[in-house]
Order: sequence, then structure tokens, then C-alpha cells
Amino acid sequence: MSTEDTDLSDESLNAIVDGEYPMHEQAELMAVVQADASHSNRMCALRSLKVMVQNAYAEVPAPAGRDRRRRRAGLMGVAASLALGLAAVLGVGLSDGGRQAERFVVLDADGRGQRPAVAEDQETRIVFHLLDGDMDAAGELLDEVETLLADYRHRKAALRIEVVAHSDGLALLRRRLSSHQERVASLARTYPNLAFVACSNTVRRLRVEKGLEVTLIPEARETASGVTHVVRRQQEGWAYIKV
Amino acid sequence: MIGFLQRRLSLRRALESVRPRLYRLAWSWCHDADEANDVVQEACLKAMERTAQLKDPARAEQWLVKIMSNVFLDRVRARREHMDITAVELESVDDGPLEAAQRSHAVDQVRAAIRTLSVDQRMVLTMVDLMEFSYAEVSETLEIPVGTVMSRLCRARRRLKERLLLQVGMPRPAAAGHLRRVK
Repeated sequence: MSTEDTDLSDESLNAIVDGEYPMHEQAELMAVVQADASHSNRMCALRSLKVMVQNAYAEVPAPAGRDRRRRRAGLMGVAASLALGLAAVLGVGLSDGGRQAERFVVLDADGRGQRPAVAEDQETRIVFHLLDGDMDAAGELLDEVETLLADYRHRKAALRIEVVAHSDGLALLRRRLSSHQERVASLARTYPNLAFVACSNTVRRLRVEKGLEVTLIPEARETASGVTHVVRRQQEGWAYIKV
Repeated sequence: MIGFLQRRLSLRRALESVRPRLYRLAWSWCHDADEANDVVQEACLKAMERTAQLKDPARAEQWLVKIMSNVFLDRVRARREHMDITAVELESVDDGPLEAAQRSHAVDQVRAAIRTLSVDQRMVLTMVDLMEFSYAEVSETLEIPVGTVMSRLCRARRRLKERLLLQVGMPRPAAAGHLRRVK
């Protein structure tokens, strides 16, 4: 910046307000401003505008339904519950292997115990309802899902898992947003008993109401409503875990 | 390889710490939480994919804002590909007299005024005021000359002044604090 332009154009006044001049030039220009009421008023208005803009965005609305801290706590609950569940399965497996799935107890995010669905054929069924768009949280979920799948495969026990992505959680299954696309593809290839389900209502809301581009990864199956889907699964006796 | 992993880990930490500021900036461009969230997420994903391109970790935030700017502008272009991008404004929020009278909250008034700015003016203004980027940093981030940064900023503030400070009956804000020291 040069102080030769001392007619104090709007650009120059903006540069003073934004601290663009070296300190000695800033001081010289401030003296010029203070000596003239018109300059002072113009600069006062610019300083006010700057503060108004900063205040206008000091707090901005979070994405709908987003509460990272609660969700993270929820995920830790899932992790703990899964660990507990595995411990229960393993413990029972040592004692009376035949009935282990029935004693698999899962705690939901609020700490309430649930017995996972066990069909006549002793298949355990768990639906994870992913609402958090945070990729770290999604990564932890995939860790837990993989551990479960590997454990059941190792013990030759039947297991079905669905990950239903809804609201912000849809990010896991969106081509432009998911950082776990390769992992989801690999898991889906390795475990045919694992399904990734995307909520069409969320897709439509983002596309139609928000005008956003939403492309799902190939592994995602769509269901009309994520909420309806998980409710139906619960009615069918699946264990429900919200993430 | 170890260097790359260290950079990646360091970038991951930087992303966590700077993400709220990135989201706030993106929100000031979109004025929509879902879209701002998408813009930030896509930018973070691209940043992780391009870790090797981050030459100076001390300038990670500016690098991230540059990626995010391109993500946002790509979206604007895709949505309104037949329009002149420099002229794009968000949906007008000009209300009728009754609605305007009801819009009493100062924050809403300022946001509404900023929504009427073109995309390029809005981005320059928010980078300077919210991120406290220097003109040179904005110039580098948006790949435009410093003179263009100054003129866009000037036009943006002139328009805000007309809408916020010169309207009849509009209360003038209290005087701002001291000028911040030059860098």
C-alpha cells in the first residue's frame, strides 16, 4: 500500500480499517483522517460495517439435527455396547456355545438394553441408524461393524447388519462427501450379509429443496424413508442402534 | 512415506481445529446449513486427498479456504451455468414494508444485506472480515489481483452502507472498537 494516495478514496479508507498499511503509514493516514470530519465519518461507517459483519456471523445455525457432542457420545455408547455385546457373546460361547446369540445384549445410545433379533435360524440382526455426518464417527462405526462381522464369521454364526444412513449421516454414502468409499465397497464385497441403505427422503430434500447435487455410491441401496425403514426393522425384531 | 503420513496426521488435526471457522465462512456464503455443511465436507475430503500439495503447514487454513472456495464456486457454476457468475446473487430477500418492519433483528438485517451482494463480493468481504485475511491472502486464495480484491471489497461495503446505515429510521450501530494493528 502507498500513502501517496492521500485523497483518501474509499479503497484507501477500507485499507486503513483492515490494517493493510505498514504501521508508520497507518499513523500518517490516521492523522489525515482525524483532521477532516468527512473522512472521520466515512471511516467510522466502514469500521461499523466491519463489526456488524463480524457480529452477524459470530454464531451461525448448525446443520439440521446436528449435535456433534451428543452424537459422539452416542457413538461411544455404541462402541461400548458392541464391546459389551461381544464380551457377552464370547463369554457365553465358552460356556454353552449353542445359545450365545440369544444372550447377546446391546445397549442403545441412551444406555437402554436391547436384545438383538434372533430368528428361528439363530441369525442375529442389527440395524445401525447413522445420523452423524462426521466422517470420524462414521469410520468408528465401520470399525465396529467390521469387528462384529469378522467375529461372527470366525464363529460361523449367522449375522445380518444394515447401516441406514439418514439426514447428515447420508454423507457416508455420498460420492462427493464420503471419505470411506473404498472401505464401504470393500466391506460390502467381503460381507454379503452387510447392507448400506440410504434414505430417499433425505436425498430428495437435499436435491429438491436445497438444489444440491447428491450422487450415492454404488453400494448404497435406497429406501423410501430411513425412519420408516428402521421402525419396520425394529418391529421385525432387529436390534436398533442409533449413531 | 513417514513425512507424508506426518503431514496427513497434521492436516487431520488442522482440519478438526479449523472446521468450525470453515463452516462459519461457508455459511456466510450459502446462508444455508445443509449446503454449508456439504461445502465444508467436500473441501475437507479434497484436502485429505491432496495432502501432498500442502507445502507450508503453517498456511493450512488459507489452503483449505482456497479449496473450499473452488468447491463452492463449482457448485454455483453448476447450478447457474448459464448465468454470469460475477452477477450471481442469492435469492432476493427484499421484503415488503410489513415484512421489512418485522425484520427487526440486527443480525438478520446484516445477513439479508450480505445476501444481496454478488458471490464474488460476498466471498471477498467475508474472507477479510470473518477470516481476517489480508488483501494479499485473499488475492492468492481467489487467484485475483489485489486491486480487484480492493474494488470488490469497496463495492460490497458501499452497498452494505446504503442498505444498513443510510436507510431512514435504521438505528446506527455503536462505534466500532479501535483499529487493529497492522500486521
